[in-house]
Amino acid sequence: MNTASKLTLAALALSVFATAAQAQVNNASITATATVQQPINVSGAQGLNFSNVFPGIAKTVLATDGTNAGRWDVTGQASSLVNLSFTLPGNLQSGANLLPIANFTGGTNTVNNAATAAAITPSLGGSATLSGTGALFVWVGAQVNPAINQPAGVYTASVTLTVTY
Amino acid sequence: MNRSLLPLLLVLLSGTTRLDAQGRPLTVSGVRSLVFGAVFPGVPRTISRTDPANSGQFDLTGNKNSQVRLVFTLPAAMAGPVGATMPLAFGGGDAGYSDTQAIGSQVAFDPKQPFLATLNKNGRGSVFIGGTAQPGSSQRAGPYTGTLTLTVAYFP
Repeated sequence: MNTASKLTLAALALSVFATAAQAQVNNASITATATVQQPINVSGAQGLNFSNVFPGIAKTVLATDGTNAGRWDVTGQASSLVNLSFTLPGNLQSGANLLPIANFTGGTNTVNNAATAAAITPSLGGSATLSGTGALFVWVGAQVNPAINQPAGVYTASVTLTVTY
Repeated sequence: MNRSLLPLLLVLLSGTTRLDAQGRPLTVSGVRSLVFGAVFPGVPRTISRTDPANSGQFDLTGNKNSQVRLVFTLPAAMAGPVGATMPLAFGGGDAGYSDTQAIGSQVAFDPKQPFLATLNKNGRGSVFIGGTAQPGSSQRAGPYTGTLTLTVAYFP
């Protein structure tokens, strides 16, 4: 073998090893993780009850009145913070007759006890933390203002509570 | 054989062996999982590739200043309880490469497309990835997981 052939052989060995060193493929994996929380459920549990109202005499039901205040029961992910927003009527209605309602008050509690509920202002909304079992109770009170010539009848309206994470 | 050529050939061969030992194997390792944490039904949750705690991270080692080709294998959904699945989306800027291995210094790229990167002078680099979990409004509660794979190769 002559000098030129030996040098060529060495150069070929160099290129072969270099090529082998370059042709490498490798891979690795990581995980993606998430924990989906319990969905929120809101149910109307008790109506806001003004009972008998007399023309010209305003009547108030406080949010702390466990018997007559309106109440919703909320369930969701334990110990989660939730946002509360209310849709409030301006009047109760009986046929074509309107009975003004205003001065809404509210309260939240992780147990079914309106008297010890934390106060909120329904017109502004608020937030609260669900209990360790994912429960929350929300109350609403208000004042109706019948006119001196308010027609007699049964007046009703809807109050809506929206709860979100 | 010409004796004067023999030492030269030995030098060349030994040089070949030494070069092979200096060529580092190309490796990739998973450093950190992509963590979405608490996810609420109906509320998408996005993790940025620049999130130092929750973004996914891979570290690369190989030949210094070498160009490498990065290819992700991404899940379309995460698997959860009782066969539930939760869609997982990756946007055009949800991956990033850093030759300084610093999360604050990345070149963004689309993880759904191959990407060419250059290892630094020490033969290192890092890849970061974020994404968006898309729970439905009635998504079943519980833990969900998925697997992201990064394949690397010298290029060319």
